Amino acid sequence: MTTLTFPLSRIEGHARVVIETRNGNVISAHFQAMELRGFEHLVQGMPAEQMPVIVPRICGVCSTAHHLAAVGALEDAYDIELPPLAVKIRELMYLGQLLQNQATSLFVFTLPDRLGLTSIFESAADDQSEKIRSQIAGRALQVRKAGTDLITLAGGQFIHPIKAVVGGVTSGISAEAAAEMRTQLEHALPLACELYDHYWEASLSQSERLGTWGDDSPSYYIAAIGSRSDNYYSDVVRVMSPEGVICDSFPARDFREYLTLEDTDYSYAGYTSYKGEMIRANSLARVNMGEPAGLHHTDRYLKRFREVFGRPAHAIMLFDLARGVELVYTLERALQILDEPLDIEDTDVAYTPCDGDGYGLVEAPRGPLIHHYKIEKGLIKQAEFIIPTVHNVRAIEKALRTAAERYINSKRVDMELERAVGRVVRAFDPCIACATH
Amino acid sequence: MKRFAVLQLSGCSGCEVALLNAEEWVDQFDLEYMTLVMSAYDVPEVEVLLVTGGVRTEEDLYRIRRTARMADEVVAVGTCAISGGVANLGDHRETQDVFLASEERIHLPDLLPKCRPVDSVVKVDRYLPGCPPTPRLFMAVLKRSPDLKIAKTVCQECGRKKVREMRPKHLYGSQQGEVLPEVCLINQGFMCIGTSTRGGCLALCTIPGYPCVGCRGPSDAFIEKESQAWFKSIQRVFSHMTDIPDDEIETALRSPQLSLFLFQFADYAGARLSQRHKDQVV
Repeated sequence: MTTLTFPLSRIEGHARVVIETRNGNVISAHFQAMELRGFEHLVQGMPAEQMPVIVPRICGVCSTAHHLAAVGALEDAYDIELPPLAVKIRELMYLGQLLQNQATSLFVFTLPDRLGLTSIFESAADDQSEKIRSQIAGRALQVRKAGTDLITLAGGQFIHPIKAVVGGVTSGISAEAAAEMRTQLEHALPLACELYDHYWEASLSQSERLGTWGDDSPSYYIAAIGSRSDNYYSDVVRVMSPEGVICDSFPARDFREYLTLEDTDYSYAGYTSYKGEMIRANSLARVNMGEPAGLHHTDRYLKRFREVFGRPAHAIMLFDLARGVELVYTLERALQILDEPLDIEDTDVAYTPCDGDGYGLVEAPRGPLIHHYKIEKGLIKQAEFIIPTVHNVRAIEKALRTAAERYINSKRVDMELERAVGRVVRAFDPCIACATH
Repeated sequence: MKRFAVLQLSGCSGCEVALLNAEEWVDQFDLEYMTLVMSAYDVPEVEVLLVTGGVRTEEDLYRIRRTARMADEVVAVGTCAISGGVANLGDHRETQDVFLASEERIHLPDLLPKCRPVDSVVKVDRYLPGCPPTPRLFMAVLKRSPDLKIAKTVCQECGRKKVREMRPKHLYGSQQGEVLPEVCLINQGFMCIGTSTRGGCLALCTIPGYPCVGCRGPSDAFIEKESQAWFKSIQRVFSHMTDIPDDEIETALRSPQLSLFLFQFADYAGARLSQRHKDQVV
């Protein structure tokens, strides 16, 4: 038996892929998460109200999602109704998170694969390609920065935000600050469209060269988005069948009836199944489920995506292209919200803490994120973090196996396999810090 | 151009993401290694090695030992690298036993009994505290810029006014549903420790209305002293400005959220830390 180990880079955290083969047959393809800090253990006994500030430390890339899931869980336990302005400001925080994440995944993590570079920060060999690279890198960082600045505006700070508090948010957004942000987003929008067009073209030519868009086996999809695509904020998780029909939906509180979480002995992250079936979450799930949003560029890109790839689309490299649709969406949707007054009403309500169970649900960039806290005497008795990356682990391993079978035969291992492993994993944009926590 | 590398141990990548936001370095420094943004197998020789995350697994231990010798200067960045961070909170004896037993795996790097700070394994030349440090502070470290003026405390950067007549009786700040925009958070009943927390973050939490939890660690006045000295000074501030009972303050300070940061330069979880001099801390 031969074991091939591939260390991974340009993803969040420490993971590797291990493929075992015998006589050219692929025996197994494992995705191994290799770190563990132990948040579920260490938050036991913490004052419940500190969770919104402690749990963002699960992950610096996804800290906004954890911040919002944590306040959501406490508000569920305390039975609090949010003022409408707080919901808007939290949506802005969320949009900032999605914007910075999709920009990072598209341009920092996966674009180097399209351009044949090891990093977007690495100078290209000849002058012509270097000119293109440095132009792309500069613009990509500007678009990404619009996302982090939006989180800072709505969330106080962009890594480990603080402004969402139980009962609302600490403050609104002044007209001047909103106008300044609008200017920045208006500048970023055409750049994002241009970068996405470039990414789209580069992806088409790459898939033509490779002869594949990756594993396209039909799958279930899950996402916590509403039925309109201007609603990335939903209180239920919806499930789409491989045929493209919404076949189930459930609130966070009932997740155990629908999702099964299992551990493995080769990874510090486990995997999730939906009624025994493989599922996929993240951008492709949302784009498969989403409806036109009444936003000019978003709808245009969504239409093109569906015309070219159908609905539901299943090939895994389309996760990347779906991310581009969302990149544009976040900018257009944030501009829409920033056009409304954001400092004339109350941003939070008074409350009384109490014991009980609370569930918080957020559609994080990688899919539905659930926090569940059991609170006793104001302290955390038990905490569960149901992580989107874990929902995708079976799909990642399936896609890795498909790639391995494509590039391994009884005579040789095609060295394209190493690049394929990177492309497969990055398509799912896994976050290991979250998955293991 | 100066060459630098980023070695990520067990952490959350927040420090890396903050560095990405300090875009200025792109034109001024050569990034040689940082797995979050580039495919590379090993760290080459560099002038500066930024280390983030704590030493949690056997692999972390191997990688920090192997990598530190490639650098002229090693900088421990963020709470995890400086103290073991959030993961170190799980190092109470009782959680440790349950934790390690339930998380045993085969085919993977073993977990160490404790999540250790970087300087318990290799010599660290400078420290950059913050959870995460802001982009501006990253640039200060890379450039070694003496012109960057860092305020002594967060309080000096905050600008909220202290009001003599507002003396809260309890720490009820977060439950009131409203934060007054220009009044000191202590006057409003928040457990804010910006009065003695190291400046440099430009008070990015307290200005929008969230109390300082001390992620930048103690100001120079307390950095070489044991944590109790910092504790006492915070208690003095509260007894001077409020009517909140001492034991309420003490409980809040020892709660995980605050003790995570309050002890980062001292003796939390009983780890024997090497002496960190204030000149080494940015």
